[in-house]
Amino acid sequence: MINAYLCRYIKVFFISVLLLLSFNLQAKRSEYHIAIKNHLFEPAKIVIPANTKVKLIIYNHDENVEEFDSFDLNREKVIFPNQQAIIFIGPLLVGEYNFFGEYHPHSARGKVIVNNIENVNNGGTKVIEIDKGGQNAN
Amino acid sequence: MNTSSFLRLNFFLIMASFSLFISLCSTVYADGVVVDKVYHPYVLPNEREVEWRLFSHKESENNKLAQRIAYGQSVTENLMLELYLVGERDVNNDFSLTSYELEARWMLTEQGEYWADWGLLFEIEKEKQKQNWEVTSGVLVEKEFGRTSLTLNAFIIYEWGNTIVSEFETEFRLKYRYRYLEQFQPAIELYSGENYLGIGPAFMGLQRFSNQKQLKWELGFITGVDSRSKGHVLRVAIEYEF
Repeated sequence: MINAYLCRYIKVFFISVLLLLSFNLQAKRSEYHIAIKNHLFEPAKIVIPANTKVKLIIYNHDENVEEFDSFDLNREKVIFPNQQAIIFIGPLLVGEYNFFGEYHPHSARGKVIVNNIENVNNGGTKVIEIDKGGQNAN
Repeated sequence: MNTSSFLRLNFFLIMASFSLFISLCSTVYADGVVVDKVYHPYVLPNEREVEWRLFSHKESENNKLAQRIAYGQSVTENLMLELYLVGERDVNNDFSLTSYELEARWMLTEQGEYWADWGLLFEIEKEKQKQNWEVTSGVLVEKEFGRTSLTLNAFIIYEWGNTIVSEFETEFRLKYRYRYLEQFQPAIELYSGENYLGIGPAFMGLQRFSNQKQLKWELGFITGVDSRSKGHVLRVAIEYEF
């Protein structure tokens, strides 16, 4: 009887491993870089295409820990001093999605603007798009 | 492999996996409390929390009551340990400490990186008075669909001891949550195991305070839906993160 349960457990384990391996076959993502300096996000606005998963790379230049937090984006991520963190967001519908730094919520604030334009740049802020292959990513 | 083939493969594997989990859950049943918390597969570094949970199971005239208090702390960027003290009300209506439990939650994938987010959960529990032990291992999965999130937990449990029969058991939990407001998020929860299949509404939310401090709350009312699942279970969980 116990052997039968063990066999089932092993099957579940291997299926889970297969799933995890399959998830490693991900497509390339567009990358957007944000810096935290003096408890401010730079740029504070990021424009990304709709229905596309993208990668935010956030570098914390401050000497204090910060936490990227967004209920709109459903993301929380701690960023240690002088280190970077990667946050995957999307695919998102057209709209505006607010985020803030949990340790400095009054100064560290920003938003992700999602629109239908494929190659996006919001002009006044610095948006670096490294990999355009991510347009087809999901 | 193109994107659509990749998605089809993932979908097939997910469906096969959860069919297996559900079939497991329908054939063997656990002895403990089935209705509990549906775990998310996420861990944050620097996270510390205290937690209180209450379960009240109303079966005709009887009312079973269990409470847990816990302290948890993340020990690495993706591993959280939590120590529980479990108390239950016995047949004489006396409430006392019944067991201890150590739990490890391990975040396997970065949130949003893959088709779904994955984690593992391990628990070891010992009864206070008796030499009875229980070891649990489980898979935690969460998938986001716009403003809603589907969370699935599948557990395999092995228990042994002086006064219980050594056996494998399984449990399955599901939560489908609508992220309406930060302070108020309605959900539907389903629990399967221990001769029990229950479903019902749940509500949860969080209130933020300064410097990463926040209070999370959950309230669920689960009703047994088949002939072996009698009564209703009220569950409450309050968690303070600091």
